[in-house]
Amino acid sequence: MSVTPAAAAPARPRLRVVIAEDAVLLREGLRRVLTDAGLDVAGVAGDADDLLRLVSASRPDVVLTDIRMPPAQSTEGLQAALEIRRRWPGTAVIVLSQHVETEHLFELLAGDPRGIGYVLKERVADLAQFSDAIRRVAAGESVIDPQVVSRLVARPRRDSPLQTLTERELAVLGLMAEGRSNHAIAAQLFMSPKTVETHVGNLFAKLGLLPAAEDHRRVLAVLTYLRG
Amino acid sequence: MNRWLRAAMIAGATIAVGWFVWSSWPPDSQYTPVEISFAVVGLSFMVAGIAAWQRWPASRLGLLFSIVGYLYLVPYILVNLANPVAWTIGNVTEGISGAALAYLGLAWPSGRLRSRFECGVVVANYAQNIAFNTAATMFWNPAFSGCNASCPANVLLIGDGSRSAWNTLGTVEALTGFVITGIVLTLIVRHWRSARGWSRRAMIPLLWIAPAVAAENILTGNLFHFSGLVTYALLPLVLLAGPALFVISTVRARTAGGALGTAIVDLEPGASPGRLRDALARALGDSTLQLAFPQPGGAGYLDTSGQAVDADRPDNGRAVVPVAGSDGAVLVYEEGLELEPHLVKLTAAAASMALEHARLQAEVQAQLEQVRASRARIVEAGDAERRRLERDLHDGAQQRLVMLSLALGMARDRAAGADPELEALITSAGKEAREALTELRELARGIHPAVLTETGLAGAIQALVERSPVAVTITAVPDERFPAAIEATAYFVVSEALANVAKHAMADGAQVTIRGLPGRLMVEVSDDGTGGARAEGGSGLRGLADRVASVGGVLRVDSPPGRGTRLEADLPCP
Repeated sequence: MSVTPAAAAPARPRLRVVIAEDAVLLREGLRRVLTDAGLDVAGVAGDADDLLRLVSASRPDVVLTDIRMPPAQSTEGLQAALEIRRRWPGTAVIVLSQHVETEHLFELLAGDPRGIGYVLKERVADLAQFSDAIRRVAAGESVIDPQVVSRLVARPRRDSPLQTLTERELAVLGLMAEGRSNHAIAAQLFMSPKTVETHVGNLFAKLGLLPAAEDHRRVLAVLTYLRG
Repeated sequence: MNRWLRAAMIAGATIAVGWFVWSSWPPDSQYTPVEISFAVVGLSFMVAGIAAWQRWPASRLGLLFSIVGYLYLVPYILVNLANPVAWTIGNVTEGISGAALAYLGLAWPSGRLRSRFECGVVVANYAQNIAFNTAATMFWNPAFSGCNASCPANVLLIGDGSRSAWNTLGTVEALTGFVITGIVLTLIVRHWRSARGWSRRAMIPLLWIAPAVAAENILTGNLFHFSGLVTYALLPLVLLAGPALFVISTVRARTAGGALGTAIVDLEPGASPGRLRDALARALGDSTLQLAFPQPGGAGYLDTSGQAVDADRPDNGRAVVPVAGSDGAVLVYEEGLELEPHLVKLTAAAASMALEHARLQAEVQAQLEQVRASRARIVEAGDAERRRLERDLHDGAQQRLVMLSLALGMARDRAAGADPELEALITSAGKEAREALTELRELARGIHPAVLTETGLAGAIQALVERSPVAVTITAVPDERFPAAIEATAYFVVSEALANVAKHAMADGAQVTIRGLPGRLMVEVSDDGTGGARAEGGSGLRGLADRVASVGGVLRVDSPPGRGTRLEADLPCP
């Protein structure tokens, strides 16, 4: 990765975001904070049909959608997200969930995990973190809520190779599952990228996983391993 | 039967037989066996008379039996009295018991003759007997039998009598007797053939009485000249069979009441009315018995074979008795059974009991069904209420807390830099809000797992396994959806079982297997813990069993101490 001075960077076009959320207050609040955070909110929708129309019309970079929406208050948002990914594969989607359960997550990741986010709804409170997540999925990364990942990692297991991992390796594993790149992991754990790579190689060998070069393959492999 | 009447009949029989023995005393060597057999036959008819009176009080059969017995002995008593008038009357009435026996056969079993013609036949039979005896006596000189002064005089004797005339009269009597006996036998056969049901069974002793009538006619008639010993030794044996058979059938009939009881007891629970009828008909000995029920809307009665029955005006030869407490059911039986009113009453009572029992059983079954259905409804209503509660929390409090977090986040950004104290305050408020959200999420999930409604068992069980503090493997879980109550129950079983594993079993691991079989869903949770769990115990197992039963399923717990626990719920699943 070449280091480019920020000043020299061309003015990047602002990310265009669409919000689908049936609670008006929250919807408007999101619109406001995201606009404040420098994002271009291209439109808001109150249900799944609205959302699909909106996406079709404005072709946003990122879609933010609640899972439960009218009319049935079931998984309309999730279904809409899958539909959007099918019809406009380049569109990044963040699903806002009230559940830490992984059922919906895997449904969502089953296709191409690039540009997919599964985030607990309360993350919207931390604006910096939340807009960072939006930027990451827009850049093609996967973003999995840390709380969801930590629950998976902490699951009790019997005779699992996971028990042979060092604390460091476990931390690296968790961050990989959250969709972080080696660089991000290195920055967060205060290691050199080289050390991270070593850890990754070791823990893949211990778990019997095939090393995957691309980050998105890695996310899926690690999450599937943790869930199984 | 009136006890005075019975005492009188016993006294009469004793006097008649005693007098007969006294009149023929002292026994002389040649005729003693014959006289003994006479006494036995006469007595047997009298005993049969008492039995008949006792068994069928409404029938005149007892009277007819007794008359045969008396008429059998009396002529011989009179002849032996050594009195001219008595001797003459004895001779005139000799053999008249045959006519009485024919009357008995014709009047069987009610003791009443069926037509004027039959009355005429009986009267003619008596008249023929007495007329020929009278005529013959006029020509019989006691000296013909070799006794002179020692024999009583014949008061009817004309002149010195005539042996040839006496013989001729005897032959003519035998011939006319044949004709009349032929008519009597024909009539009896016709009675037998037209009899149905109970009456036919009641006629079985007649099978012996009819030949006895014929035998008496042949043996005592003047046509074949059997030796005296054959006549007087064989005839009593044949005659004896009739009353003996009747007494035996009477004793057997006394057990019919017991047979009814047995028939009801042996009836399997929930037996159809048709089977009840069959059992009653067998016990009663009336194959024509009908059990009929009123049709709704006053459309008459139908019996158990679907045949229409007019209970108000039964067919000829049929009688009706209502079955108490059975919504108007009736028993229609062969009229002859009227002779045994006690048995009819018993049968109606037995039918009433059986039908009442069946009705109660159906009622209890229906109530049980209602209770089952209402239990299932209560559980379903509870499930629906929990779903609603969870949704309310999700759409209400949880949403508002998210809003609050968002607002606090915005407020903190505003305060950032400007007022560090305020910023810290808002940060801590945001943390509280997030924790409240987490707690609320757990609470909502405990009330009802949304993932179960949204994605079905597979996702919900996976979620349970992910949060279990014990290592759990899922062997199998079907992807397809099942009725909501079944899914909720299966989820509840696994959830409770895994909670128990975590709390009590001290297990290293557990296994969950859910399999959809034709018509049912099998849920199995097993662990390698300490075992010893009991369904009756105070643990959640009791509630779990109730919950499984509410959808009509069965919960089995296999938990030998020290060898782990295996919980299996078998849920019906259309």
